[in-house]
Amino acid sequence: MTTRSDPVAIFRHQTPGAQAALLTVLVGALCLALEPVAPWLGAWPTAWTLPATDWVGTVTEAVLQAIKPVARWFSRLLSYPMNGADWLLNITPWPIVLGVTTAVGWLLGGVPMALLGFLGLSFVLASGYWSESMNTLALVAVSVPVALVVGGAIGILANEVPRIKTAVDAVLDVMQTVPTFAYLTPLLLLFGFGPVVGLIASAIYAAPPMARNVILGLERVDPDIKEAAIMSGGTRWQQLFQVELPSASTQIMVGVNQSLMAALSMVIIAAVIGGFDDIGWEVLLTMRKAQFGQSLLAGLVIVVFAVVIDRMSGAMATERKKHDTRVFYGLLLVSVAVTLLFWARLPNPAEFTALAPVADHVDQALTTFTVANGATLDAIKNGAMFYGLLPLRIGLDQAVLPFTWGFAWTAGMSAALFAAGAGLCLVLAWRGRLTSGLMVMIGVGVLETGITNLPWPFVLTGAGALAWVAGGRRLALTVLVLLSTILVSGLWDRALLSLYLSGASVFACTVVGGATGVLCAVSPLAWRVVRPICDMLQTIPLFVFLIPVLMFFQIGEFSAFLAICAYAIVPMIRYTRHGLVSTPPDLIEAATATGATPWQIMRDVRTPYAAPTILLGLNQTILYGFAMLVIAALIGTTGLGQSIYLALGQADVGLGLSAGAAMAILALIADRIVQGFAEERRQALGL
Amino acid sequence: MTDAKTPAITCRNVWQVFGSGAKQALSTALSGSGNDPQGAADQLLKGGFIPAVQDVSFDVAEGELFVIMGLSGSGKSTLIRAISRLLQATAGEIRIEGEDIVAAGKQRMIELRRNTLGMVFQHFGLFPHMTVAENVAYPLRVQGIGRSQRMAKAQEVIDLVGLGGREENFPRELSGGQRQRVGIARSLVTDCKVWFLDEPFSALDPLIRRQLQDEFLQIQAKLKTTIVFITHDINEALKLADRIAIMRDGRIVQIGTPADIVLRPADDYVREFSKDVAKGQHAHVRSVMQSGPDAPVAGPDDPGLKTGMTLDAALARCMSLYEPVPVHDDSGAIVGTVHPADLAAALQADET
Ligand SMILES: Nc1ncnc2c1ncn2[C@@H]1O[C@H](COP(=O)(O)OP(=O)(O)O)[C@@H](O)[C@H]1O
Ligand SMILES: [Mg+2]
Repeated sequence: MTTRSDPVAIFRHQTPGAQAALLTVLVGALCLALEPVAPWLGAWPTAWTLPATDWVGTVTEAVLQAIKPVARWFSRLLSYPMNGADWLLNITPWPIVLGVTTAVGWLLGGVPMALLGFLGLSFVLASGYWSESMNTLALVAVSVPVALVVGGAIGILANEVPRIKTAVDAVLDVMQTVPTFAYLTPLLLLFGFGPVVGLIASAIYAAPPMARNVILGLERVDPDIKEAAIMSGGTRWQQLFQVELPSASTQIMVGVNQSLMAALSMVIIAAVIGGFDDIGWEVLLTMRKAQFGQSLLAGLVIVVFAVVIDRMSGAMATERKKHDTRVFYGLLLVSVAVTLLFWARLPNPAEFTALAPVADHVDQALTTFTVANGATLDAIKNGAMFYGLLPLRIGLDQAVLPFTWGFAWTAGMSAALFAAGAGLCLVLAWRGRLTSGLMVMIGVGVLETGITNLPWPFVLTGAGALAWVAGGRRLALTVLVLLSTILVSGLWDRALLSLYLSGASVFACTVVGGATGVLCAVSPLAWRVVRPICDMLQTIPLFVFLIPVLMFFQIGEFSAFLAICAYAIVPMIRYTRHGLVSTPPDLIEAATATGATPWQIMRDVRTPYAAPTILLGLNQTILYGFAMLVIAALIGTTGLGQSIYLALGQADVGLGLSAGAAMAILALIADRIVQGFAEERRQALGL
Repeated sequence: MTDAKTPAITCRNVWQVFGSGAKQALSTALSGSGNDPQGAADQLLKGGFIPAVQDVSFDVAEGELFVIMGLSGSGKSTLIRAISRLLQATAGEIRIEGEDIVAAGKQRMIELRRNTLGMVFQHFGLFPHMTVAENVAYPLRVQGIGRSQRMAKAQEVIDLVGLGGREENFPRELSGGQRQRVGIARSLVTDCKVWFLDEPFSALDPLIRRQLQDEFLQIQAKLKTTIVFITHDINEALKLADRIAIMRDGRIVQIGTPADIVLRPADDYVREFSKDVAKGQHAHVRSVMQSGPDAPVAGPDDPGLKTGMTLDAALARCMSLYEPVPVHDDSGAIVGTVHPADLAAALQADET
């Protein structure tokens, strides 16, 4: 009984989770109580902010200036193959491009793939965006080989020199979390306006997946195979190129596929800097002019490209049977024959306007629809904003206004809310679930204050405590240091804004995606419907998500929220389902034999078993969310994404890089914490 | 097996310790324990190192089939990898045909592997992107031998292992037994002089395993290469071996002929292995008889025991005899005696 009265001993006695939560609650309460006398607890004072952004800008600009001549020379060098590819693709008569695509499709996947290629390119032709598409394709055609060679070389190097592997891994991690736009600003300064920037950015962006897959593939080559190559008397070079790389070819092909998709996505994003008459630019232009029919059409062209490229390169990564090469040559021959036969009468692809009326029609229909249902759409948007997003952003105390909620938020209500939270917390604690109780308290506090108004000591403590539970002291320290850099560099407010929007989206994705995943796990029919949608959503380049949300909800935070959700929900669905359906059958049989109902099996056996996988899904969802957040800056978000986008327009390297780094920091922190929890779960299950 | 000849393989005080800085740690541990291997191993373990092979010494004569046997994790694979230089031994001396392998340079190792050494792996290690013929011919390809020449040579060994007709198949299209035949063929294509096999048949079904063991013995009879064969199966070891080395926790606890292992196990660990073995089928009269000139003259009830007879067969012939009986060699001359009671006692050895 004596120990009970000693608070330190009680604290020590709790689980790490409860300790972390308790600490966070205490700091939060302290901040709330002291804020009136010490306002610096609420918002980080400007006077304490270091002009880190300027420093970064000055240093980087100096460095960039120094290497600029080399870069310009390099840019000129790259412009030759790019212009060459562009010229070639544009000069080649379209029947031949069509024929080659169809023939390659045949080789890779027989009739279905040939048909996909043929129909896909026919659609592009009919859309009237042929030459824009060829321009885009030219960029991809040059950037991908560069990315593959560079990525492959990095992968091989990391494999051959084990000492640098960890470092390479870390760099690849960072490269993949730094938002796409953030690459563009320094490149812009280095290479000047023009398509070469897009080319290089997409090569840089597409190299890491290749490197990763080469490393992974080489690592996974059966040790017996490696040793057999050694014992056959091969030199290291022979072992690598004759045995190990070919043995890893499936994984490397996955890398090629991912690399292609990344390059395409980046080439389209890079259109925002303009200067090249490509399909991404077309989307942007029509979107700005609010010609949504055209914009949708151009967007569909991008989707078609993505699907064709993805499915064809994906086919290379799976085992496939050989298709008759005679058909391949036959198709080529036919396309050449058609070209020659109709040489004089071959219509200019730009004159194809078969789909223009459709686009116009869609445009009109859309206008009619939005006018007719404007009230409903507005109601949806406003409802979500006023009752969901806004309270989360600025807290109930500021978001609840007579104008929207019908009453004003009073201090009494705050007190009542806190009292209710405390009551619930006590009940939960009394039933032995102290951690859950404390989490309720934290939730109430956040809701009352709003994410963007949270006192910084509270955020730091909370994040640090969470990291401590997930990954121990080292992770906690890393998180604290990284967050502090954001804090002192003056990007804190924007970081919180980004955190709020991505947090809201991730929350929505978790709830909706998790539920969908569960549904798909229990109902194969549901999965048959959802799966192609997921496949589609994952193939579509980020940029295209903006079009439909913009059509219905105009520019604003809600549209951004929807776009993020649409993109980021997929991993949650996939991983949840996958985790749930891959419970070992003997576990389920054992549970059934003890008389558990399907629902009990789901709750007590399948969900705990799937927990690590679901956590990995959450992790992916968070990373997807951050990636999209930056793109969504195009349609009006605030926070870091907006800063990165603005920096691009103003060629402000300091701001662009700092904000990009802050974004990467947030993503990395989330990644490490969730991975930590997943790892802990995996170990607890002995996996 | 004469002493005048250099052994095909010599191992002296070979250590293989895993962990960074193992070499340093081993020499410290050895000097700390006054060169006592057991003490040094204990100290290494305490320091977080893994002494997978500890102070191993043995010779393998030319043309001998030497089997290393032990439970999984006892260090067999590590030992064979140290000998074939897939691992760099932490300490000790390893010679192949008199040549110091530990000190051999990179280029020399490549040469040795191309001309002298062959290896077969437990999980086959076949190259998935090559056909059977290309797999088998690969050791010739790395030497830059022309395609038609290497394919002809590959065809020979493919026929030798009974895979004729499968040349153009890919490994994934073969059964486990067939895959290991490819592995064997590939290791033989360069006419190696020292042949390493690391549990080559362990991944196979018992029936296929028996069949491959028999074929393996036939191949060995034809080629007469020096062989180091690893297994965890005592029956396989007894069936194939000229001599067996038994490994336990990184150390060799006994080296001897199959009869030695069965009849005179060095300790409980070895005895435990041979417990389930039908000893009568593996030990021969030679191993229990007393050779000498004072052998009894062949009487009317001479059961006609021969030195190479198994104990089971011998016992069956002198069921009702209680006196020492003579033992003949292959030519029929009497070379020793054996008491029937000794035959029975030998089979009971481990019950005492
Ligand atoms: N590369 C390695 N690094 C660390 N420990 C190893 C390594 N290879 C093998 N070991 C350890 O050495 C011991 C012997 O392994 P091994 O030689 O594979 O045994 P066996 O082949 O007899 O089953 C085992 O405890 C194993 O864990
Ligand atoms: Mg082994």
